[in-house]
Amino acid sequence: MRSSLLWRSSVRYLFTHPLLTGLSILGVALGVAVVVGIDFANVSSERAFRLSSSLVTGTATHQIVGAGNELDDTLYAELRVEYGFRKAAPVVEGYASYGGESEGTLQVLGVDLLVESSFRSFIGGAQSSLDLGQFMGPSSVGLLSEETALSLGIELGDTLKINISGIPHEVVLLDFVRGLSDLDRQAMSNLLVVDIGTAQRLFSGAGKLSRIDLIISPEEIDQGRLSSLENWLPSNVRLQKASSRGNALDQMTKAFTLNLQALSLLALVVGMFLIYNIMTFSVVQRAPTIGRFRALGVTQKEIYGTIISESLIIGVSGTVLGLLGGVMLGNGLVNLVSQTINDLYFVLEVRELTLAPFTLLKGAILGVGMTLVASLLPAREATTAATTTVLRRSSDETRMAAALPRLIWSSLGAAVVALLLLVAPGKSLVISYLALLLVLLSFALMTPPAVTLCTRWIRPILGKMGGVVGKMAARGVETSLSRTGVAIAALMIAISSTIGVGVMVESFRGTVDQWLSYTLSADVYISPPSPVFRRNDATIIQDVERDIRALDGISGAYAVRTARVQMNDFQNDLIIVDPRPGPTESYRFKEGDITSLPERFASDNVVKISEPFSYRHDIHAGDTLQINTDNGRIPFEVAAVYFDYASDVGAVMISRNVYNRHFDDPFVSGIALVASPGTDVDNLIERVQQVVGGRQEVFIRSNRSLRQASLDVFDRTFTITQVLRLLAVLIAFVGVLSALMALQLERGKELAIMRANGLTPRQVWLYVTTQTGLMGLLAGLFAVPLGLILAYVLVFVINKRSFGWTLQMDYSPDVLLQAVVLAIIAALLAGIYPAMKMASANPVSALRED
Amino acid sequence: MSSSNSILNVSGLSKSFVEGTQERVVLDNLSLTLREGELVVLLGRSGSGKSTLLNLISGLDVPSAGTVQFGDTSLSTLKEEDRTLFRRKQIGFIFQSFNLIPTLTVLENVLLPIELSGTVSKAEESKAKHILDTVGLGDRMNSFPDVLSGGEQQRVAIARAIAHDPVLILADEPTGNLDFETAQTVLELLQHLIHDVNRTMLIATHDREIIELADRVFTLQRGVLKELDAENEALN
Repeated sequence: MRSSLLWRSSVRYLFTHPLLTGLSILGVALGVAVVVGIDFANVSSERAFRLSSSLVTGTATHQIVGAGNELDDTLYAELRVEYGFRKAAPVVEGYASYGGESEGTLQVLGVDLLVESSFRSFIGGAQSSLDLGQFMGPSSVGLLSEETALSLGIELGDTLKINISGIPHEVVLLDFVRGLSDLDRQAMSNLLVVDIGTAQRLFSGAGKLSRIDLIISPEEIDQGRLSSLENWLPSNVRLQKASSRGNALDQMTKAFTLNLQALSLLALVVGMFLIYNIMTFSVVQRAPTIGRFRALGVTQKEIYGTIISESLIIGVSGTVLGLLGGVMLGNGLVNLVSQTINDLYFVLEVRELTLAPFTLLKGAILGVGMTLVASLLPAREATTAATTTVLRRSSDETRMAAALPRLIWSSLGAAVVALLLLVAPGKSLVISYLALLLVLLSFALMTPPAVTLCTRWIRPILGKMGGVVGKMAARGVETSLSRTGVAIAALMIAISSTIGVGVMVESFRGTVDQWLSYTLSADVYISPPSPVFRRNDATIIQDVERDIRALDGISGAYAVRTARVQMNDFQNDLIIVDPRPGPTESYRFKEGDITSLPERFASDNVVKISEPFSYRHDIHAGDTLQINTDNGRIPFEVAAVYFDYASDVGAVMISRNVYNRHFDDPFVSGIALVASPGTDVDNLIERVQQVVGGRQEVFIRSNRSLRQASLDVFDRTFTITQVLRLLAVLIAFVGVLSALMALQLERGKELAIMRANGLTPRQVWLYVTTQTGLMGLLAGLFAVPLGLILAYVLVFVINKRSFGWTLQMDYSPDVLLQAVVLAIIAALLAGIYPAMKMASANPVSALRED
Repeated sequence: MSSSNSILNVSGLSKSFVEGTQERVVLDNLSLTLREGELVVLLGRSGSGKSTLLNLISGLDVPSAGTVQFGDTSLSTLKEEDRTLFRRKQIGFIFQSFNLIPTLTVLENVLLPIELSGTVSKAEESKAKHILDTVGLGDRMNSFPDVLSGGEQQRVAIARAIAHDPVLILADEPTGNLDFETAQTVLELLQHLIHDVNRTMLIATHDREIIELADRVFTLQRGVLKELDAENEALN
């Protein structure tokens, strides 16, 4: 049973140290806020995607899709009439951008209202009050939810101006989709429903469908309806489960979201160090009081319970604040996450933050749990020491000194296990991050021995610079190793994470820049705007393409097309390129026989695959890839694996000649022009603009501006990483501030004795700031090798296992120097308050016993 | 005052510490019996092992050899938890440096040993207040220790040591940190405790004023305990 007086004493301790208690709560709160904020952002994005996906899929159980995600609508008629399958609905879908007061992307869903009611009830419901003749008529009309119309600033009868593949269109708002549930309303937030004929006009696909939705009951499946239908369907189309599309898109972002979660956990790990430090300090500072309690008959369990209860107060308070902070942070981060998903993967509009109870629960468990875990050791320290030694302040340091050899061995042990995990074969990201955590642990364990060694080296130097005060400052770091060691380790981890992530981003950027320099070999690039920056699948009007190719002053015009096709048992982007004359290749290759490649690529059934694609699907040069074409399923030989950083999902490249043989798709998504010798590029761009005229909105970019635009998107996708990096530093700063404050306040008596012996307030300042500066310097210096190891693991292991990319490690010494300076500044800033407090403290009161 | 009923039997008690590769013997095979209601003084220089002996008797520490027997309870065979519970109920402590709990008020400090053994009844609270009145701190009950003088803090410590009616009070240099006058006040208080309240007390000290109050006096030198027969011998 815990005495209420024991408990009261404990609570009073927390209240009589408001700054330290506040800082520990802040440390937990920041850690929890980062984890919860990231999780909210991820969950909100995923939920927005799922809602919109399930709304568009409706009650369909299966879908018929074509080779290039296109079907002839005659198949639909044959399905209903010849095969007699009635529960089928044709769908045409795509994306349209809108401008005006606000910019954004709408998902356009073209449906046949006559057969819709059993598929998408929200559209069926609209039928009752809808003028069907008008909806299905020749003019472009559409339906929006009332909220969406409001946010777009349009009313019934108004014209909505949209842009599809750079071509402007107008759609009149005919009616609202009514009777929506709350969930449907959220999912409808970026959906424009039009008649299937209208959709075909908008997407230049007369007679074409995106897919046919089906409802096949389990009984029908049992009766063999599914296999019978599969047999009936032509070989160039495929029957798939309606849910498979959502799952495939989910897979795309899996590594991205996992990496974000891992980075957010780093913030919590730094926060854990902070708690450990504070709790250790509180135990050390109260060692005499704990000794008195023990002498009066308080048991070890009761002391343990009290320390744990205190950490619970800090953990619960910090977690509650952290959850609130997480909601606020999530609001900001959700835009960054959805922007990155839009840039890299697919169109996603997240209108509101989803406050998932599971995320709150996870945050609460992590916050309270990690605080408790961080407090276990200090609590144990407080109780397992013999009562007589608890009464001695120096016992902690004696134990720490005795533990140094054990720390070195434990550190080496952790390093060996980390190394084994890193070199172990496999793709597990969890194991990679576990190894990363062990690397951090190894360095943290090595910190106290390293601090001891370094302060002994530095002591004479500081002695020369600052006299006896300098020497004392260095010695003070060593004699309070149980506290300084943890503070330095916490700062080292935070700073090393900024180095690690910074070098990783810099290496990645450098690799991408270099890759762009050799892949972008043309002078001018023309492409229509695409909803997803990295997936250019919009098409150029064929007349426009023809006129551009006919321009003077160009020595070559090479078109590119992106199509999503079914290959093996998954869907992936197929990049169709015009083969270039001559033996040179603008890509660099990882696998394959390069000598005969240009020739074979131009004419044979061969493809080149990107490195991430090869990694993701474990397909290599010499393997065969089955691709669903308009001529049925055709085997293609993988001739080479090329380095590519455009997509972490990966791509398959095929020559236009070969593609044309198997697909009925003459469109191109972009054209690269090579200027003839003597042609002015700026002049060429002007002439392209004139040729395109107002027929289609296209981006016409020089080599340099396309490269810059690509790097801008790259930087944008790493914004969230940089935000997390800064948050980790902020938490570390709070940690160092509290650790240094705790340390200096604990030394109140020691400093008072020094003051009594003639140390001036200025010398106290010098003493405290020299000591904190030294701690910052050591943390910064230790952070450099750790940061580089983290960067190495991130670049060569985590990136490889996440995305399959081969990156070049590339960094400037500036990053390392900045990190050391950052550590010193953080430590010096954190030392200001204790220095002020100590310098102005009355030595008489500090010299009192209690 | 003195009774023939022994409350504590220490037998063959030894304690040694390992320092590096050397073993240092602090207490060497000593025996001691305390009888109910007597005041025993333990003399010895600093580092002679007085505090170690008190720690062993209170169960704060365990002996290297020998036994500490309270009535039927052999303290040396108890587990740490049981020793603590025994100490909580049966022993009162007075330290040289007072060792009050800085985060508890004067009254709460006195109530602490009672509350550790169970809930505090109204009667017990009244008793604690009465003891504080007796030690002259009735008006400082709600003050925190850091605003009290050394003598006042030691009086609170004495009140705390007797509040839960322990079988034995152990005092480790109770006047060591006090000036002459304050020490006199504390000694008067201790005298009152012994004679009027009939407590058994073992005091480790080198304060010769206390020797005058003692029923028996022992010296501890180089780990060996020796009883001094005559008052003069002790004073010399």
